[in-house]
Amino acid sequence: MSYSSFELLSKWIERHEKEPDVVAKEKLDRIIKITELKAPDRIPLLAPGGDFMLAQSGITWYDLSYELTGKVKNAVSKFALEYPGDFAIFFVPYLLEGFALAAAFSDFPDFSNSIRFLSGPLHDVLKDKWSRWPGRELRENQHPQFIGGEFMKPEEYRKLIDNPVEFMHNTILPRACPGLGTPGTPQWNGTLVRAGIAVQKTMSFMMEVLTQLKGYASFPLTNAYVPADIIGDFFRHPTGAMLDIRRFPEDFKAASEVLVDLIIKVATAIPPIPPLTMFFIPLHLNEMLPPKLYNEFYWPYLKKIIETLVAKGYKGFVFFEGDHSPHVDTILELPKGWGIAWFERPKNFVKNVWDKLKGHTTVAGGVSPALFYQSPDKVEEYVKNLLNEIKPEGGFMIAPGVSELPADVNPASVKAFINAVLKYGVY
Amino acid sequence: MKELVNAIVELDERKSYEIAKRILEETRDPRVVLEAIREAAEIIGEKYEKGEFFVADLILAGEIMKTVSDLARQKLKELGEARKVIGKLVIGTVEGDVHDIGKNIVISMAEAVGFEVIDLGVDVPPSKFVEAIKQYQPDIVGMSGLLTVAIDSMKRTVDEITKAGLRKDVKIIIGGGRVDQYACEYVGADAWTTDAAEGIRIMLKWMEEKSK
Repeated sequence: MSYSSFELLSKWIERHEKEPDVVAKEKLDRIIKITELKAPDRIPLLAPGGDFMLAQSGITWYDLSYELTGKVKNAVSKFALEYPGDFAIFFVPYLLEGFALAAAFSDFPDFSNSIRFLSGPLHDVLKDKWSRWPGRELRENQHPQFIGGEFMKPEEYRKLIDNPVEFMHNTILPRACPGLGTPGTPQWNGTLVRAGIAVQKTMSFMMEVLTQLKGYASFPLTNAYVPADIIGDFFRHPTGAMLDIRRFPEDFKAASEVLVDLIIKVATAIPPIPPLTMFFIPLHLNEMLPPKLYNEFYWPYLKKIIETLVAKGYKGFVFFEGDHSPHVDTILELPKGWGIAWFERPKNFVKNVWDKLKGHTTVAGGVSPALFYQSPDKVEEYVKNLLNEIKPEGGFMIAPGVSELPADVNPASVKAFINAVLKYGVY
Repeated sequence: MKELVNAIVELDERKSYEIAKRILEETRDPRVVLEAIREAAEIIGEKYEKGEFFVADLILAGEIMKTVSDLARQKLKELGEARKVIGKLVIGTVEGDVHDIGKNIVISMAEAVGFEVIDLGVDVPPSKFVEAIKQYQPDIVGMSGLLTVAIDSMKRTVDEITKAGLRKDVKIIIGGGRVDQYACEYVGADAWTTDAAEGIRIMLKWMEEKSK
């Protein structure tokens, strides 16, 4: 199959250039419709990215992390035009989790969301041990990696519970971010000023990337997290967190309780603006926990955060990492139409996820990134069958399990995917 | 011994240690404790496969098995005996990947069931695997990785091992969230797994076949 045969895709790309505002509005309408559990004109699709984007654009992870220049902006916007989606995630150059920083500065609504992700420039300043970056600890063509670590002992839960903000500033940050040195010293103060400069620089670069995109709508996005994941990712390492749940259950719950308040503070720093303001939560420990522990140590806090924010007028955008199928039923406890649930790799997507949630929760997913190794014909066939199972019900977005596709997938198959959604996704 | 197996499978830390200590005080042969660990590992692997156990369970199981096996080893030492090593495993997270939760579960379980484990760490280049095979002459090489990029690194590592003429000397198992049969064939490994306990069972089976 040749590129020219993806007729619908070619036409859509053409319209991105000729009438970007109309295309952007159509995309936003689709997203709003699905969050209302309705059927838009066509099933929206989530755009691909990751190593595949870099392989297609000839830039490296180092470039994406550190080269805040026209080269990267042009590469991203060219790719976004060539492989368009209705919903795209462009956090460039924010590439790794950093929610502990947002929580630590949750009393500062003017910038708490700007430090919700780690970036290469911020890593250079803080020298944080949570992450490793291309061109620094990693080779230039390597994806930045979040590794976390153990930065508190189980005996310290009491201090965390008594005053979480102070504990993060006086205990976690000095241990996890050696660049800061000792609290209150000139090095500490100066490094925080530098961190502010780095954040400002990366923020404005991200805005520049977004404004250069043709035919993409943007809407306000705020951030939240699950308390157990803050503990696992930033304080105790996931292994430590999973042992603590069993060994110090009461401490773990009390810590989760106090963290919920900080998380909601961060999320509400960006006010809900109609027609759509979403809060993004990626889940990490979810699939690793057996239902008994999930229902006691994870879900009650996640549920409280979602319910609180939905009641304030936000919609959720929650990434259910891994195989979330053992816990899917709990989602039905949320208010109908609370937001989008995006599933990475549930066992049997249609039966375990879609059939259970349709009409209640907007669902995104359904496509394994491995599909793009298949031939364009096979991809088209897969999309056709899947969408026929989904329709005529609304409230669905077709999406790869992760937006980051491997470098060596077949570009024609990615195009076939988009083309097939344009062809078979029409209601 | 059944009591100890049950306590481990029930993930009851305190009970497992109490029973293990009691048995070790009473018995002259600490090997029964090691045998119980092995049996527990088998059951835990089956439970994970059936979806009854999750990663959080494997982590705790690994901790319990490690502590119990340390107790048994200490007792063996006191008796002036060394624990019989059932096989040698060289393991590492492959180049380009620094995730180690899965690898570390495998290590604690493998040591608990009697493997001598050489841990190469994370982001391990192919050449380091080759050197380690030459130096330690392991029975099994384990490669771990979470990211999709890990699959390519695993393939390069197997290719290097083959090029060095060492492929026939070792069994190779790959593990991680994104490996599957397709990846296993592409990489040229002997087995694949997405869970540590199953990996242990596969390795035990290999050692059993080898000893025949």
